[in-house]
Amino acid sequence: MTGIQLNKPQGSHFGRIWVIALHAFTQLVRMKVFYFLAVFAVIAIASNFFDLPQHEGPESVGINVLRSIKSWSLGTMTLFSVVLSIVATALLLPKDVEDRTLYTILAKPVPRLDYLAGKLLGVLLLVFVSLALMDILMTVVLHLRAGMVLDQQMAMAQARGWPAEAIAELRADTALHGPSWSLQGAVWAVFLRASIMASLALLISTFSTSTLFTTIISFLIYFIGHFQADARDAYLQAGEAGQGMLVRGAGLVMSLVLPDFQNFNVIDAVIEGQALPMVALAKLSAIGLYYAIFFTGASWFLFAKKEF
Amino acid sequence: MKNWQRNGILVGAIFVFGGLRLPFEAGLRGELQAAHLIPQALEIGTRDKIGQTSSAVALGGLRTLVATFLNLRAFGFFEAQRWDDVADTFDTIVDLAPKTRYYWEAGTSHAAYNASSYYLNQSTLPPLRRREAWRASVLRGRAFLERGIKNNPTDWSLLRNLGFLLSDTNLFPAFRNPDETFLAAAAAYRRSAATGNALPYVRRAEFISLARVTGKEREALALGRELYASKENRAPTVLLLLLVLEAHENPALDSAARAVEFFGTAQSAYENLCRYWLRTRELFPIYGVASALESLERTLAIPQEKSIFNKPLQSRPDADEWFRN
Repeated sequence: MTGIQLNKPQGSHFGRIWVIALHAFTQLVRMKVFYFLAVFAVIAIASNFFDLPQHEGPESVGINVLRSIKSWSLGTMTLFSVVLSIVATALLLPKDVEDRTLYTILAKPVPRLDYLAGKLLGVLLLVFVSLALMDILMTVVLHLRAGMVLDQQMAMAQARGWPAEAIAELRADTALHGPSWSLQGAVWAVFLRASIMASLALLISTFSTSTLFTTIISFLIYFIGHFQADARDAYLQAGEAGQGMLVRGAGLVMSLVLPDFQNFNVIDAVIEGQALPMVALAKLSAIGLYYAIFFTGASWFLFAKKEF
Repeated sequence: MKNWQRNGILVGAIFVFGGLRLPFEAGLRGELQAAHLIPQALEIGTRDKIGQTSSAVALGGLRTLVATFLNLRAFGFFEAQRWDDVADTFDTIVDLAPKTRYYWEAGTSHAAYNASSYYLNQSTLPPLRRREAWRASVLRGRAFLERGIKNNPTDWSLLRNLGFLLSDTNLFPAFRNPDETFLAAAAAYRRSAATGNALPYVRRAEFISLARVTGKEREALALGRELYASKENRAPTVLLLLLVLEAHENPALDSAARAVEFFGTAQSAYENLCRYWLRTRELFPIYGVASALESLERTLAIPQEKSIFNKPLQSRPDADEWFRN
């Protein structure tokens, strides 16, 4: 009776998941991934200097630099978050097997779902903290530069005797290219995409034979995921386009199996100065959560009976 | 449960999961495209042009970053005066970032102004080929900008720039028919002003273009009078064109007296009219200007040798003349 009680998991699921997540986070931090932030800082500062000749009117002076800062920063964040989420997740299980940590953990009354969820949460925590730090750096650089651009524009507008409404319009236009909630939404979209990739890499790593295999397959799926919408269109519009059953079937299989990453490309619109509505962001978050839950559940389904 | 059963269940679950999310994702894609938050899929031609690696990256959610890299490359082509490469690169750039005004304006500027100036002044090509290359560059710049407007119909700056391009004295001979060109320029300025974001000078520019179209004098006069009602629009060119259009409407008008009314003193009226008289390059109408100048010269007792009529006029924009040698 006592033995059965001892084998029962102690404490709450969340408590266990959190402990494992913190351990995974610490493990990854010790791999010195934060050194990348120094590279990011250089990129964020260097993007200030890509000031090519002005082809627009004087009212647009400096806008191109603001766009350059956002473009370089969000591009770097995307690359970093996707690479980190795939590689870190791909490394976790094999490393625990290699260090024999996995045996120690699984010998204890820790449900395998908690173990997997904890590991995934650790990776996501690392990606989130990294993105948050990069976001802060980008926002500071952008805020300073946007202030300089705005001062320059206001001086120009006043020197030319622009009417007050035109000056207010100019101020609003420039503000669209500075730090904004939409920009924070874009960073969140970067995180969501990385979360999907991390949970997908976790699923692959549960049946993969090596870290390399998990990494390569995950990257392939990441890139093919950007064509998924094309495949879905091929399936949905096959009748109109006069395509055969084979194309339609292939389109259907691709769109059912692969994640659709094109919807997360709203980042590009934000860089171009468009506002990202909360509704769109909420829907993207729902999709991200849906993928993460499904892939984690599927990982557990495979991992639950795996023998080590 | 055996392994094959487990795998079968998983595959089935993936399909069911996919089937559940498919309509939601398709709907969201439609909504995001309608809101211009995600672009249409890249054309195959664009994928080819940006190359395999860049294409993968661009499709991987870094379209604007790839566009930034290509913009740097285009700048290198511009420095080397490789105009066809500049144009091709900008075609690709705007496929990647169709909502960025800067790329449309930069691409237009390179074709219509930089490349055309090169063919006008520096090229070692024979005159006829230089002329064709110059004209092709201007037309390419216009077509590129019009594509930009199609992609961004509410962008006041792109429309304003089309007006600039069509009314530029160094460019409009490329379009052959000045009336049609000025009318198109006025239409572009009008659309720009209609967006509600344009600066006040855009309406003045519309008037200045429309006033130069033969047969549209009455319409231009109405617009001029509307602009005149607001003090901020009373720029010298606007006042002078208004005067000329009034003289066209009423040939019996005492243009000199009207000019003095506009400019306050006879001296100021004379100086402004002189400057206007000399601006033959811009193809401004000149109804009543000569008589007003004669009258003011008498009033101000300008000696014959200092008369404005003895000063050489600017040559009219004439592509035949530019490419004679």
